[in-house]
Amino acid sequence: MADLVGIYAASHGPLIARDWEKLPAPLKARLSAAFDELGRRLRAARVDVIVGVAPDHWTNFFLDNLPALCIGIGVEHDPPPEPFLADFAARHPTISGAPAFARHILATALACDFEPAHSHRLRLDHGLCLPLQRLGLEPLPAVVPILINELEPPMPSLGRCCDWGRLLREAIRSYAEPMRVALLATGGLSHSIGEPSMGAIDEAFDRRCLDAFAAGDQAKLLDVLEAGMPRAGNGAHEVRNWLVAHGAAGGRGFRCLDYIPAPEIYLGCAFAAWGT
Amino acid sequence: MTDYWLSKLFFDLRQPDRAAGYRRDPAAVVAEYPLTPELRSAVLANDVARLAPHTNPYLLRYFFAAIGMSDAEFIQRLRASGASTGVRAGG
Repeated sequence: MADLVGIYAASHGPLIARDWEKLPAPLKARLSAAFDELGRRLRAARVDVIVGVAPDHWTNFFLDNLPALCIGIGVEHDPPPEPFLADFAARHPTISGAPAFARHILATALACDFEPAHSHRLRLDHGLCLPLQRLGLEPLPAVVPILINELEPPMPSLGRCCDWGRLLREAIRSYAEPMRVALLATGGLSHSIGEPSMGAIDEAFDRRCLDAFAAGDQAKLLDVLEAGMPRAGNGAHEVRNWLVAHGAAGGRGFRCLDYIPAPEIYLGCAFAAWGT
Repeated sequence: MTDYWLSKLFFDLRQPDRAAGYRRDPAAVVAEYPLTPELRSAVLANDVARLAPHTNPYLLRYFFAAIGMSDAEFIQRLRASGASTGVRAGG
Protein backbone atom coordinates (compact mmCIF):
# COMPACT_ATOMS: atom_id res chain seq x y z
CA MET A 1 0.00 0.00 0.00
CA ALA A 2 1.01 3.57 -0.52
CA ASP A 3 2.35 5.65 2.36
CA LEU A 4 1.54 9.26 3.08
CA VAL A 5 5.01 10.41 4.08
CA GLY A 6 4.61 14.17 4.24
CA ILE A 7 2.03 16.94 4.24
CA TYR A 8 3.16 20.46 3.51
CA ALA A 9 1.86 23.89 2.60
CA ALA A 10 3.54 26.80 0.85
CA SER A 11 2.32 30.09 -0.55
CA HIS A 12 2.84 30.60 -4.27
CA GLY A 13 2.83 34.36 -5.00
CA PRO A 14 3.96 34.88 -8.59
CA LEU A 15 6.06 37.92 -7.69
CA ILE A 16 8.40 35.56 -5.85
CA ALA A 17 9.52 34.61 -9.36
CA ARG A 18 8.58 37.64 -11.48
CA ASP A 19 10.20 40.24 -9.23
CA TRP A 20 12.86 38.09 -7.57
CA GLU A 21 15.81 40.26 -8.59
CA LYS A 22 14.10 43.39 -7.21
CA LEU A 23 13.22 41.97 -3.79
CA PRO A 24 15.15 43.07 -0.69
CA ALA A 25 17.94 40.66 0.25
CA PRO A 26 16.52 39.81 3.71
CA LEU A 27 13.17 38.84 2.18
CA LYS A 28 14.86 36.74 -0.48
CA ALA A 29 16.94 34.99 2.19
CA ARG A 30 13.89 34.19 4.28
CA LEU A 31 11.83 32.94 1.34
CA SER A 32 14.73 30.82 0.16
CA ALA A 33 15.26 29.36 3.63
CA ALA A 34 11.60 28.35 3.89
CA PHE A 35 11.44 26.76 0.44
CA ASP A 36 14.79 25.06 1.04
CA GLU A 37 13.55 23.58 4.31
CA LEU A 38 10.45 22.16 2.60
CA GLY A 39 12.61 20.84 -0.22
CA ARG A 40 14.95 19.21 2.28
CA ARG A 41 12.02 17.50 3.98
CA LEU A 42 10.57 16.26 0.69
CA ARG A 43 13.93 14.84 -0.39
CA ALA A 44 14.43 13.18 3.01
CA ALA A 45 10.97 11.62 2.69
CA ARG A 46 12.05 10.04 -0.65
CA VAL A 47 8.79 11.01 -2.27
CA ASP A 48 7.63 9.18 -5.41
CA VAL A 49 4.47 11.20 -5.99
CA ILE A 50 3.34 14.66 -4.96
CA VAL A 51 -0.40 15.22 -4.71
CA GLY A 52 -0.44 18.94 -5.45
CA VAL A 53 -3.50 20.86 -4.27
CA ALA A 54 -3.78 24.28 -5.88
CA PRO A 55 -6.12 26.62 -7.70
CA ASP A 56 -6.32 26.97 -11.47
CA HIS A 57 -5.49 30.61 -12.30
CA TRP A 58 -7.68 30.73 -15.43
CA THR A 59 -5.16 28.42 -17.11
CA ASN A 60 -7.23 25.30 -17.84
CA PHE A 61 -10.74 26.39 -17.00
CA PHE A 62 -12.96 29.31 -17.90
CA LEU A 63 -16.56 30.35 -17.33
CA ASP A 64 -17.58 27.87 -20.04
CA ASN A 65 -16.70 24.97 -17.80
CA LEU A 66 -15.56 25.59 -14.26
CA PRO A 67 -15.16 22.48 -12.12
CA ALA A 68 -15.32 22.83 -8.35
CA LEU A 69 -12.49 20.31 -8.16
CA CYS A 70 -10.56 18.54 -10.90
CA ILE A 71 -8.13 15.63 -10.55
CA GLY A 72 -5.37 15.37 -13.15
CA ILE A 73 -5.16 11.71 -14.14
CA GLY A 74 -2.94 12.19 -17.18
CA VAL A 75 0.29 10.41 -18.00
CA GLU A 76 1.84 13.85 -18.16
CA HIS A 77 0.95 17.49 -17.63
CA ASP A 78 1.93 20.61 -19.51
CA PRO A 79 4.38 23.11 -17.99
CA PRO A 80 3.46 26.57 -16.69
CA PRO A 81 2.54 29.25 -19.24
CA GLU A 82 3.78 32.22 -17.21
CA PRO A 83 6.85 33.94 -18.72
CA PHE A 84 8.42 34.25 -15.27
CA LEU A 85 8.52 30.44 -15.04
CA ALA A 86 9.99 29.98 -18.52
CA ASP A 87 13.19 28.43 -17.11
CA PHE A 88 11.22 25.81 -15.22
CA ALA A 89 9.06 25.13 -18.29
CA ALA A 90 12.18 24.70 -20.44
CA ARG A 91 13.63 22.20 -17.95
CA HIS A 92 10.29 20.40 -17.71
CA PRO A 93 8.61 20.45 -21.12
CA THR A 94 6.23 17.93 -19.60
CA ILE A 95 5.64 16.99 -15.97
CA SER A 96 5.01 13.33 -15.23
CA GLY A 97 1.69 12.28 -13.75
CA ALA A 98 0.85 9.10 -11.87
CA PRO A 99 -2.16 7.94 -13.89
CA ALA A 100 -2.91 4.65 -12.14
CA PHE A 101 -2.72 6.23 -8.70
CA ALA A 102 -4.71 9.27 -9.84
CA ARG A 103 -7.42 7.00 -11.24
CA HIS A 104 -7.53 5.22 -7.89
CA ILE A 105 -8.11 8.58 -6.17
CA LEU A 106 -10.85 9.34 -8.69
CA ALA A 107 -12.50 5.93 -8.23
CA THR A 108 -12.26 6.19 -4.44
CA ALA A 109 -13.86 9.63 -4.55
CA LEU A 110 -16.75 8.48 -6.72
CA ALA A 111 -17.30 5.39 -4.55
CA CYS A 112 -17.56 7.73 -1.54
CA ASP A 113 -20.15 10.00 -3.21
CA PHE A 114 -17.72 12.77 -4.14
CA GLU A 115 -18.05 13.91 -7.75
CA PRO A 116 -14.80 15.49 -8.94
CA ALA A 117 -14.11 16.44 -12.52
CA HIS A 118 -11.08 14.79 -14.04
CA SER A 119 -8.69 15.70 -16.82
CA HIS A 120 -6.30 13.67 -18.92
CA ARG A 121 -4.12 16.69 -19.58
CA LEU A 122 -3.75 19.73 -17.40
CA ARG A 123 -1.41 22.66 -17.70
CA LEU A 124 0.14 23.33 -14.29
CA ASP A 125 0.45 27.07 -13.68
CA HIS A 126 2.43 28.98 -11.05
CA GLY A 127 0.05 27.72 -8.35
CA LEU A 128 1.91 24.42 -8.34
CA CYS A 129 4.99 25.14 -10.39
CA LEU A 130 6.32 28.12 -8.46
CA PRO A 131 6.65 26.04 -5.27
CA LEU A 132 7.91 23.05 -7.28
CA GLN A 133 10.58 25.23 -8.85
CA ARG A 134 11.62 26.75 -5.54
CA LEU A 135 11.70 23.40 -3.72
CA GLY A 136 14.55 22.39 -6.01
CA LEU A 137 13.42 18.80 -6.48
CA GLU A 138 15.44 17.32 -9.33
CA PRO A 139 14.38 14.94 -10.65
CA LEU A 140 10.85 16.08 -10.06
CA PRO A 141 8.59 13.44 -8.49
CA ALA A 142 5.44 12.55 -10.40
CA VAL A 143 2.61 14.99 -9.72
CA VAL A 144 -1.10 14.34 -9.28
CA PRO A 145 -2.68 17.79 -9.47
CA ILE A 146 -5.91 18.49 -7.67
CA LEU A 147 -7.21 21.86 -8.80
CA ILE A 148 -9.89 23.54 -6.72
CA ASN A 149 -11.97 26.51 -7.88
CA GLU A 150 -10.88 29.28 -5.53
CA LEU A 151 -10.99 32.18 -7.97
CA GLU A 152 -14.58 32.46 -9.16
CA PRO A 153 -17.55 32.26 -6.78
CA PRO A 154 -19.36 30.13 -5.86
CA MET A 155 -16.63 27.90 -4.44
CA PRO A 156 -16.57 24.61 -2.53
CA SER A 157 -17.37 24.98 1.16
CA LEU A 158 -14.53 25.01 3.66
CA GLY A 159 -15.86 21.89 5.39
CA ARG A 160 -15.98 20.00 2.10
CA CYS A 161 -12.30 20.77 1.55
CA CYS A 162 -11.51 19.13 4.92
CA ASP A 163 -13.59 16.13 3.79
CA TRP A 164 -11.56 15.97 0.59
CA GLY A 165 -8.40 15.74 2.68
CA ARG A 166 -9.75 12.79 4.65
CA LEU A 167 -10.80 11.14 1.40
CA LEU A 168 -7.30 11.59 -0.03
CA ARG A 169 -5.80 10.03 3.09
CA GLU A 170 -8.05 7.00 2.62
CA ALA A 171 -7.30 6.80 -1.10
CA ILE A 172 -3.54 6.83 -0.43
CA ARG A 173 -3.87 4.21 2.30
CA SER A 174 -5.96 1.92 0.11
CA TYR A 175 -3.75 2.09 -2.98
CA ALA A 176 -2.33 -1.40 -3.56
CA GLU A 177 1.09 -0.45 -4.94
CA PRO A 178 3.97 0.56 -2.67
CA MET A 179 4.50 4.26 -3.21
CA ARG A 180 5.67 7.19 -1.11
CA VAL A 181 3.23 10.07 -1.41
CA ALA A 182 3.45 13.64 -0.16
CA LEU A 183 0.68 16.19 -0.23
CA LEU A 184 1.63 19.76 -1.09
CA ALA A 185 -1.03 22.42 -0.58
CA THR A 186 -0.22 25.80 -2.10
CA GLY A 187 -1.51 29.36 -1.95
CA GLY A 188 -2.78 31.72 0.73
CA LEU A 189 -2.69 33.25 3.15
CA SER A 190 -4.15 36.79 3.00
CA HIS A 191 -3.68 38.59 -0.29
CA SER A 192 -5.78 40.58 -2.68
CA ILE A 193 -5.51 40.50 -6.47
CA GLY A 194 -7.39 42.81 -8.83
CA GLU A 195 -9.51 44.27 -6.04
CA PRO A 196 -9.38 47.79 -4.57
CA SER A 197 -7.50 46.29 -1.62
CA MET A 198 -4.84 44.83 -3.95
CA GLY A 199 -1.53 44.59 -2.13
CA ALA A 200 -3.09 44.60 1.34
CA ILE A 201 -2.08 41.92 3.83
CA ASP A 202 -4.24 41.05 6.85
CA GLU A 203 -1.54 40.00 9.26
CA ALA A 204 -3.95 39.64 12.19
CA PHE A 205 -6.08 37.20 10.16
CA ASP A 206 -3.03 35.29 9.01
CA ARG A 207 -1.78 34.84 12.57
CA ARG A 208 -5.20 33.71 13.84
CA CYS A 209 -5.40 31.32 10.92
CA LEU A 210 -1.93 29.88 11.59
CA ASP A 211 -2.70 29.46 15.30
CA ALA A 212 -5.94 27.64 14.48
CA PHE A 213 -4.24 25.32 11.98
CA ALA A 214 -1.52 24.61 14.54
CA ALA A 215 -4.11 23.73 17.19
CA GLY A 216 -5.93 21.48 14.73
CA ASP A 217 -9.43 21.96 16.17
CA GLN A 218 -11.48 21.95 12.98
CA ALA A 219 -14.60 23.66 14.31
CA LYS A 220 -12.51 26.50 15.70
CA LEU A 221 -10.42 26.65 12.55
CA LEU A 222 -13.47 26.96 10.30
CA ASP A 223 -14.92 29.65 12.59
CA VAL A 224 -11.70 31.66 12.32
CA LEU A 225 -11.67 31.32 8.54
CA GLU A 226 -15.36 32.04 7.98
CA ALA A 227 -15.08 35.14 10.15
CA GLY A 228 -11.85 36.49 8.68
CA MET A 229 -11.76 35.49 5.03
CA PRO A 230 -14.22 38.14 3.78
CA ARG A 231 -11.68 40.81 4.75
CA ALA A 232 -8.47 38.92 3.95
CA GLY A 233 -8.57 39.45 0.18
CA ASN A 234 -9.72 37.18 -2.63
CA GLY A 235 -6.43 35.28 -2.56
CA ALA A 236 -7.25 34.05 0.94
CA HIS A 237 -9.74 31.67 -0.66
CA GLU A 238 -6.73 29.51 -1.47
CA VAL A 239 -6.65 28.49 2.19
CA ARG A 240 -9.05 25.78 0.99
CA ASN A 241 -5.96 23.88 -0.16
CA TRP A 242 -4.56 24.09 3.36
CA LEU A 243 -7.84 22.63 4.64
CA VAL A 244 -7.39 19.66 2.31
CA ALA A 245 -3.98 19.16 3.92
CA HIS A 246 -5.53 19.54 7.38
CA GLY A 247 -8.05 16.81 6.51
CA ALA A 248 -5.38 14.55 5.02
CA ALA A 249 -3.40 14.88 8.26
CA GLY A 250 -6.39 13.55 10.17
CA GLY A 251 -6.97 16.92 11.80
CA ARG A 252 -3.61 16.98 13.56
CA GLY A 253 -2.21 20.43 14.02
CA PHE A 254 0.63 21.65 11.87
CA ARG A 255 3.92 23.33 12.57
CA CYS A 256 4.31 26.72 10.96
CA LEU A 257 7.80 26.84 9.45
CA ASP A 258 7.67 30.55 8.70
CA TYR A 259 5.23 33.38 8.22
CA ILE A 260 6.37 36.40 6.24
CA PRO A 261 3.97 39.30 5.75
CA ALA A 262 5.58 40.64 2.57
CA PRO A 263 3.99 43.67 0.92
CA GLU A 264 6.69 43.51 -1.78
CA ILE A 265 4.99 40.40 -3.13
CA TYR A 266 1.44 41.39 -2.02
CA LEU A 267 1.33 38.32 0.19
CA GLY A 268 0.94 36.99 3.69
CA CYS A 269 3.39 34.22 2.86
CA ALA A 270 3.40 31.07 4.96
CA PHE A 271 4.99 27.64 5.07
CA ALA A 272 3.91 24.68 7.19
CA ALA A 273 4.33 20.97 7.77
CA TRP A 274 1.85 18.55 9.30
CA GLY A 275 2.64 15.29 11.05
CA THR A 276 1.49 12.27 9.05
CA MET B 1 -22.67 41.12 -12.75
CA THR B 2 -20.13 39.01 -14.60
CA ASP B 3 -20.08 39.73 -18.32
CA TYR B 4 -19.22 36.61 -20.26
CA TRP B 5 -17.75 38.25 -23.37
CA LEU B 6 -15.69 40.78 -21.43
CA SER B 7 -14.30 37.92 -19.37
CA LYS B 8 -13.72 35.91 -22.55
CA LEU B 9 -11.75 38.76 -24.08
CA PHE B 10 -9.57 39.02 -21.00
CA PHE B 11 -9.15 35.24 -20.84
CA ASP B 12 -8.16 35.04 -24.52
CA LEU B 13 -5.59 37.80 -24.06
CA ARG B 14 -3.64 35.47 -21.76
CA GLN B 15 -2.28 34.01 -25.01
CA PRO B 16 0.89 36.01 -25.79
CA ASP B 17 0.14 36.18 -29.53
CA ARG B 18 -3.36 37.41 -28.88
CA ALA B 19 -2.10 40.01 -26.40
CA ALA B 20 0.47 41.24 -28.92
CA GLY B 21 -2.31 41.60 -31.50
CA TYR B 22 -4.36 43.57 -29.02
CA ARG B 23 -1.50 45.93 -28.27
CA ARG B 24 -1.11 46.58 -32.02
CA ASP B 25 -4.80 47.20 -32.70
CA PRO B 26 -7.10 47.14 -29.65
CA ALA B 27 -10.22 48.21 -31.54
CA ALA B 28 -9.90 45.42 -34.09
CA VAL B 29 -9.62 42.75 -31.39
CA VAL B 30 -12.42 44.19 -29.29
CA ALA B 31 -14.66 44.25 -32.37
CA GLU B 32 -14.49 40.45 -32.48
CA TYR B 33 -16.41 40.23 -29.20
CA PRO B 34 -20.13 41.03 -28.86
CA LEU B 35 -19.65 43.50 -26.03
CA THR B 36 -22.20 46.11 -25.07
CA PRO B 37 -21.24 49.60 -26.32
CA GLU B 38 -20.62 50.66 -22.71
CA LEU B 39 -18.19 47.85 -22.02
CA ARG B 40 -16.50 48.21 -25.41
CA SER B 41 -15.77 51.86 -24.71
CA ALA B 42 -14.63 51.06 -21.16
CA VAL B 43 -12.15 48.49 -22.49
CA LEU B 44 -10.76 50.87 -25.08
CA ALA B 45 -10.49 53.61 -22.46
CA ASN B 46 -8.66 51.27 -20.03
CA ASP B 47 -11.32 52.21 -17.50
CA VAL B 48 -10.60 50.05 -14.46
CA ALA B 49 -13.54 51.39 -12.46
CA ARG B 50 -16.14 50.63 -15.14
CA LEU B 51 -14.73 47.18 -15.94
CA ALA B 52 -14.11 45.89 -12.41
CA PRO B 53 -17.75 45.08 -11.55
CA HIS B 54 -18.14 42.93 -14.67
CA THR B 55 -15.36 40.39 -14.48
CA ASN B 56 -13.23 38.29 -12.18
CA PRO B 57 -10.55 40.36 -10.40
CA TYR B 58 -7.76 38.03 -11.56
CA LEU B 59 -8.88 38.39 -15.20
CA LEU B 60 -9.00 42.15 -14.72
CA ARG B 61 -5.45 42.06 -13.41
CA TYR B 62 -4.25 39.88 -16.27
CA PHE B 63 -5.78 42.23 -18.83
CA PHE B 64 -4.13 45.35 -17.48
CA ALA B 65 -0.82 43.51 -17.17
CA ALA B 66 -1.18 42.30 -20.77
CA ILE B 67 -1.64 45.84 -22.08
CA GLY B 68 1.45 46.97 -20.17
CA MET B 69 -0.03 48.92 -17.25
CA SER B 70 2.30 48.91 -14.24
CA ASP B 71 1.15 47.33 -10.99
CA ALA B 72 1.44 50.71 -9.26
CA GLU B 73 -0.82 52.42 -11.79
CA PHE B 74 -3.31 49.53 -11.75
CA ILE B 75 -3.49 49.51 -7.96
CA GLN B 76 -3.96 53.27 -7.86
CA ARG B 77 -6.88 53.01 -10.31
CA LEU B 78 -8.38 50.08 -8.41
CA ARG B 79 -8.33 52.06 -5.19
CA ALA B 80 -10.01 54.99 -6.90
CA SER B 81 -12.62 52.61 -8.36
CA GLY B 82 -13.31 51.04 -4.99
CA ALA B 83 -13.86 54.44 -3.44
CA SER B 84 -16.28 55.50 -6.17
CA THR B 85 -18.19 52.39 -7.25
CA GLY B 86 -17.55 49.46 -4.96
CA VAL B 87 -16.68 46.14 -6.56
CA ARG B 88 -18.11 42.77 -7.22
CA ALA B 89 -18.38 40.95 -3.92
CA GLY B 90 -16.98 37.58 -3.06
CA GLY B 91 -13.87 37.14 -5.07
